Amino acid sequence: MTRIADLSTFNTVHEDGLAKLLPPRPRIAVGMGTCGTGHGAEGVFHAFSAEIGNRGLGISLARTGCFGICAEEPLVNVWIPGKPLVILRKVQPHDAGAILDAITSGAVPFDLALCRIEEWDHITAHIKYGTGFEEIPLWSDVPFFKGQKKIVLRHCGLISPGDIEEYIAVGGYQALYKVLIDGNPVGVIEQIKGSKLRGRGGAGYQTGIKWEFLRAAQAEQKYLICNADEGDPGAYMNRNEIEGDPHSLLEGMIIGGYVTGATEGIIYIRAEYPLAVHRLQSAIQQARDYGLLGQNILGRGFDFHVSLVEGAGAFVCGEETALIRSLEGKAGRPAPRPPYPAEKGLYGKPTNINNVETWYNIAPIIIKGASWFTDTGSPRSSGTKVFSLVGKVNSTGLVEMPLGTPLKTFVYAIGGGAPNGKSVKAVQTGGPSGGCIPQEMLDTPVDYESLAALGSIMGSGGMVVMDEDNCMVDVARYFIEFTHSESCGKCVPCRVGLDKSLALLNRFTRGAATVQDLAMLDELSRMIRDTSLCGLGQTAPNPVLTTMRHFRHEFEDHIRAHRCRAGVCQDLALSPCENSCPLHMNIPRFLELYKEDKIEEAFLSVVLDNPLPASTGRVCQHPCENRCRRVGIDEAVNMREVHRYIADAIYASNRYPALIEQVRARMLPPTGKRVAVVGAGPTGLACAYYLALLGHETTVYDGNAEAGGMLRYVLPDYRLPKEVLRKELELIEAIGVKFVFNTQVGRDLSLNEIDAAYDAVFLSIGTWKEAWVYLPGTELRGVIPALPFLESVAKNEPVALGKTVAVIGGGNAAIDSARTALRLGSGVTIIYRRERKDMPAIPEETEAAEAEGAEMVFLAAPHRIIGNAAGGVQAVEVVRTTLGEFDSSGRRRPVPTGEVIRFECDTVILAVGETVDLDFVKASGLKIKEAGTIEVDRYTLETSRDKFYAGGDVISGASNVSNAMGYGKKAARKIDDRLMGAHRFGQLLPEFDYDKSPPSCPSGSGRHRVSELPALERVKTFAEAVAGLSPVEAMEEACRCLRCDARNGDN
Amino acid sequence: MTSSNEEIDRVIARHDGRPGALLSMLEELQQAHPDKYLPVETLDYLAERTDLPRARIFSVATFYALFNLKPQGEHTVCICRGTACHTRGSRDLLERTKLQLGLKEEDEEGSADKLSVTTADRQFTVRTVACFGQCALAPVVEVDHAILGHVSERTLDREINTLKRGGRA
Repeated sequence: MTRIADLSTFNTVHEDGLAKLLPPRPRIAVGMGTCGTGHGAEGVFHAFSAEIGNRGLGISLARTGCFGICAEEPLVNVWIPGKPLVILRKVQPHDAGAILDAITSGAVPFDLALCRIEEWDHITAHIKYGTGFEEIPLWSDVPFFKGQKKIVLRHCGLISPGDIEEYIAVGGYQALYKVLIDGNPVGVIEQIKGSKLRGRGGAGYQTGIKWEFLRAAQAEQKYLICNADEGDPGAYMNRNEIEGDPHSLLEGMIIGGYVTGATEGIIYIRAEYPLAVHRLQSAIQQARDYGLLGQNILGRGFDFHVSLVEGAGAFVCGEETALIRSLEGKAGRPAPRPPYPAEKGLYGKPTNINNVETWYNIAPIIIKGASWFTDTGSPRSSGTKVFSLVGKVNSTGLVEMPLGTPLKTFVYAIGGGAPNGKSVKAVQTGGPSGGCIPQEMLDTPVDYESLAALGSIMGSGGMVVMDEDNCMVDVARYFIEFTHSESCGKCVPCRVGLDKSLALLNRFTRGAATVQDLAMLDELSRMIRDTSLCGLGQTAPNPVLTTMRHFRHEFEDHIRAHRCRAGVCQDLALSPCENSCPLHMNIPRFLELYKEDKIEEAFLSVVLDNPLPASTGRVCQHPCENRCRRVGIDEAVNMREVHRYIADAIYASNRYPALIEQVRARMLPPTGKRVAVVGAGPTGLACAYYLALLGHETTVYDGNAEAGGMLRYVLPDYRLPKEVLRKELELIEAIGVKFVFNTQVGRDLSLNEIDAAYDAVFLSIGTWKEAWVYLPGTELRGVIPALPFLESVAKNEPVALGKTVAVIGGGNAAIDSARTALRLGSGVTIIYRRERKDMPAIPEETEAAEAEGAEMVFLAAPHRIIGNAAGGVQAVEVVRTTLGEFDSSGRRRPVPTGEVIRFECDTVILAVGETVDLDFVKASGLKIKEAGTIEVDRYTLETSRDKFYAGGDVISGASNVSNAMGYGKKAARKIDDRLMGAHRFGQLLPEFDYDKSPPSCPSGSGRHRVSELPALERVKTFAEAVAGLSPVEAMEEACRCLRCDARNGDN
Repeated sequence: MTSSNEEIDRVIARHDGRPGALLSMLEELQQAHPDKYLPVETLDYLAERTDLPRARIFSVATFYALFNLKPQGEHTVCICRGTACHTRGSRDLLERTKLQLGLKEEDEEGSADKLSVTTADRQFTVRTVACFGQCALAPVVEVDHAILGHVSERTLDREINTLKRGGRA
């Protein structure tokens, strides 16, 4: 060890450090930040250590901090002289042997390689590692790192944080040396001011100006404080910075001390960060030993001391006056400002407080200059900022980006979007003081002003991504619960106000809130914001105010519909499956009844919740499975197939007529009210069924000759055999629903006529119009839209289909068309402009089509259809697309390239989406939304015309059968409420007798899948392709349910 | 059982007069106690020796979440309630753990915040923490000072059962 007192000793240490960082032999460095050790890096290190020892290898082994991509931990750096530094990912102890084998033969294991680094800009130094290993991507080409600019994290994950010499090797303490030699403190402050560096703790006050205040203050003793009490939940930048590179913090503070005249530095650090505390302690000791801290620093006659104080778990201590109180040995209650700490701070002396990350920017600014710093970032927010990108995002970790980078770059380009194909709903920035920014606004650049304009703040850098499974009311409640418990209690607005806010939010999450509560919450939040003493109270309402501003509909759902769409607020749902089901079927109940061998009761339970259980049991998109808690054990319960089984079993038995009688027995007495339902699709059928059960005289009009809508006329037989639907219709007819077929409302019967004859009218005409893409050649014979094609096949009408068919589109209609065309003997190519994972079709259907022989072409947009001499189709030309920017749906926008591909074909089926028949809607005189759907009140489904209700695809745009039926069921309830002036819907259900306790031990059986006929066999006919569960399998599925409906384990 | 007075004197000598002294002393004393808490006797003696008012010492000891005024269980299960963990289901983990250890909700409203409860047999203390700063591993649970990442109800069940049977996590 050398005490550095002049340039030559400084250079010696620098050389010694370089020899460790780039030794004349291979070097392995294991990432051992807390995130690394949390993933088992300790074991990896020991495995290397033992193996190197056993084999007597000449390989250096070191510990580093985290390189930022925490999701890929444990990370291991391998460097072989002359070669690039290679970062290996997810290294396990048992990999050590193979890695060492590779290194000794001059290579690295490519299967573990994440990226390679040929040279690294440490800002204060430039390290050239070497070249080669071109098979491994450069670090800057890895999506997670693309666009990142590491100024603060310049050393993290590359040098050993426990060795000051390595820090000096990459230019460490050079800035300090320069500042001390130059002896121009005012010049340094001017430089920091010129860099426009703003406080990285959240408030964004200019650091140079703060320093100027402290320098100007006259006192015998001045203090510098580093605020490392990183209390924002969801943020851990400071932990990583300190764990990976403690000396940059010390260097920044020593420089700050010199230029402001402070001689005491204190780092107030969270006790929850033991490793960071440890690394700092040893860094302080080393800096003292090397003459960089303490008395007579670098022999220039300047004294500066740094001590560490561990915080004890109080969020409010992040507020500067509270932090000072805490250092004085008191409870951390804030004091009013002024006086500001720069005048009267710790022990009444002038004090300057900066966040950890602010200190990390000091040395680079001094070495590179102010204008170098302002070159990065946006005009008012210069430099970079480290963010912890966490929550519902695929690649979690620490991301350092230039300020001004749009939020969507973080969420999609770097983070890779939400896991499991879910959609991102919001991003929370700034922790409990910040706010939630909705997905539609992710174009917002991340800088102090832009985030503030949306009611959020940048804060210390937490960035928590929320997806569709997160409830924003719950998020607001979560933050208020947090600030409520962290409020110091000193001032009334914060102490009492947050308590009342929490009580109000609890009413929302329990479904007990009213519209007045919403107004009250808004007023209360503004009061707390405007009148609290310190930053905690002033910003605590931000999460509530922003969620109310950007997600008001979710608050309204909780109030008016008593629904939490995300299924988080448990008091508002029976179980996650029930909550996700558009029909809100009581799924645990029918599973339990069946499990108890009461199949008739189970059927009754099913059919009173859903009049088409066998049809939906075949074709529903089963949203119930998305939130099934059984996923935590193995896979979701196959609920859809169990109700299909129950229904099929009853329909096939002689008990069906008796059960129809039991349903009839549930009917309420005739009300004398008459209701018309327009459209006999699933929406209309569901509505009519419940209206009839509720005692209303119900008539369904439809332009077709039979009921079922798309179930009957679009869905091919191999998915839903017509006799299944017919069997289900028997029940709807049996309870007295009247059907008037071959009558198109609007053409054969006017809306006014209907209006005059009925007490209420429900419109559910669906989306029967095929959207059209305007391509050259669509007028050719042989170009057919998907719906009419499927309809003709369903009606057994002849269709003119060629030998080779190109289907354009990626939805269910496209797949249905393709599989139907295959069954008619044609060869089929499906052309879709995005990627497979973006297809809206049910994935099982796409796979089935492929197995049956359909060719799939992705990333190809139709360009033109080429005709032949006879006016028919000759070929279709498509343009290859590549994936560009993320669009508002969170999918990457296809961008056409110049490459054109030609597919010879004689038929083109266009399946690019369905729309509402606008002619009808316009003629109806009802208000229409921009999207061409009928406008309704979201909660009552009332249209702009009195007595008229609408539901299904006609209000939502093309959707699926269960969503459609959900609207129908809801409309029946709302129409009944209005006609009768009472809530009577609940009377339809009998009491079911079944065990209401959860299974003491969950069944060990795995999920049962339905069996498909072999592809080559099923493609020959229209016979049903998928067989249901066997009775035993259905029973085992029922037993797999964890019974989320049973809340308290002891009843 | 309390820390010996000599031990308290040693801790005072080490910290008195330095910034943040009181917090550091309390942290050390709690850490030194076999049941990881601050008995009243310790606080009284500390007040006497540092010449600080008892009220001040109690004010500090009750203000900060880190300090325990009750003996802690042999095993500690600490569930992170940070935002990332919350979005990934840490509340369910907390509920599940309380259920498994037979711990009941003490009060109705806002009780999930700053929780610290110990089972009657003093085997387990279940606590929450505002954030471990391990957000990339969410949801995170610390069992006897070992951080577990990506915890599911199932893995947590298993950990607790192992501890119940007297094994190590």
